[in-house]
Amino acid sequence: MKVFDNLFQYDRPETKGEFIFFKLFEFLILYQVLFFAWDWGNYIPALGDVILPLGIAHYLDISFMFGWIAWLNAALITLFVLWGFLRQQRFPYFISFLLFHLQYTARFSQGEISHGANLTGMSLLALGLAYAVFSTPVQRRKTTIGLVLFFVGIGYTSAAFTKLIGTGFTWPDGRHLWLWIAERATDRLSQSGSFQFNAIQEIVLQNYGVATLFLVAGWITEFLGFALWFRKIRSFIAVALIGLHFGVLISMNISFSAFVEILIIIGFPWYKLFDFLLRKKPDSMFNHFIEKQLGYR
Amino acid sequence: MDFKAKSKTLLLSVLGVYILLVSTHKGEFWPFSIYPMFSQAGKTWTRALVREEVDPKDRQIWNESSLDDLPGQLFAMDRIGINQNDLANFISKNEEWTDRRIQGLRSYFKKPLQSHNLMIYRVQGSLRGRSQDSVEVSYIPYLLLTTDSTVINPNL
Repeated sequence: MKVFDNLFQYDRPETKGEFIFFKLFEFLILYQVLFFAWDWGNYIPALGDVILPLGIAHYLDISFMFGWIAWLNAALITLFVLWGFLRQQRFPYFISFLLFHLQYTARFSQGEISHGANLTGMSLLALGLAYAVFSTPVQRRKTTIGLVLFFVGIGYTSAAFTKLIGTGFTWPDGRHLWLWIAERATDRLSQSGSFQFNAIQEIVLQNYGVATLFLVAGWITEFLGFALWFRKIRSFIAVALIGLHFGVLISMNISFSAFVEILIIIGFPWYKLFDFLLRKKPDSMFNHFIEKQLGYR
Repeated sequence: MDFKAKSKTLLLSVLGVYILLVSTHKGEFWPFSIYPMFSQAGKTWTRALVREEVDPKDRQIWNESSLDDLPGQLFAMDRIGINQNDLANFISKNEEWTDRRIQGLRSYFKKPLQSHNLMIYRVQGSLRGRSQDSVEVSYIPYLLLTTDSTVINPNL
């Protein structure tokens, strides 16, 4: 099927540029996992009781994590992701994913269902499964990127469908955006003690048509998320999705920075740039280093 | 199994687990999700706001009022390093105030409660007006936390 060729690149050999691209992606995920693991680890000891169990917390009283164990878990996650990154062995990434899931369910046990780290978690799962199932480095790399692209696309498109199911075709009514802007204003006030609408929010609040246009554009972009599966149009939809997140940020002050970072890497054919640069300097030390990593030398 | 068959099987297996878990866990089993945020547009929302320096002897503190007329001073959650989302969800999703839940909530405010009384408001926003074209926000006194007691609004 064409879609699998587009995701897993069966139809073409891996280039040196793609190897660099993958290492950048892997490094980004490693950085994000460590950031979230310690950020949550430092917050969890302040929590008191489980209000809404998520994930494994449906089956396990996650309150045992409310203490120094959260730091221990962050340390274990650090150990296993570094082990996975440096030694490229079979199971460290998958084990770190399981521990990362535990950390998430402890942090978000207070009723909030946060999605800010979902793509990070999904990417770590993809790394964990690709490394566990395949033993050839090229196959691991192709599988990881293929899985990430597929599930990122599914996520956005399913978000568009849940809006249709939850509200119907009236979802993009500009008044709904007004209500969300007021909600976020309350949140900012509660968090920092002050709040002021920015220029875009003022425009949206005064113009029903502009508010509706924001929501229509957002919904269409989300719906087209599955287009990330296809090489030829991937960059266009990645730009649109990054734009969507920018729109959410300026209209509702909600940042999805981890999502945007991942989209910036996986949404564009950076390998073409790397291959071009490597071809320009075929005898550079860096070129030799990459060839050594790939077993060409 | 060759690479093609194995990678396709892996993708479809993960998709199967994804569908199974989200369909049996209300759309969420991290990192699997149907991303339902903002799916229910136009519905009344409930958030939380904290005020300090509230006089527990004053009966007026239990009355609803506008933001400008609320008693005491605004207490920013940044001061205790707690995300306001956690407080808002704790307030809106908790169904029964058991001792454990009350202690859980009070643990957010351990330090300020040593010297301050705090009132937690349920803040509700909804579309109002003949054509639902204005947003109305109401501030409902909900929980009064003093150094040694927790009082739920007697009018609720």
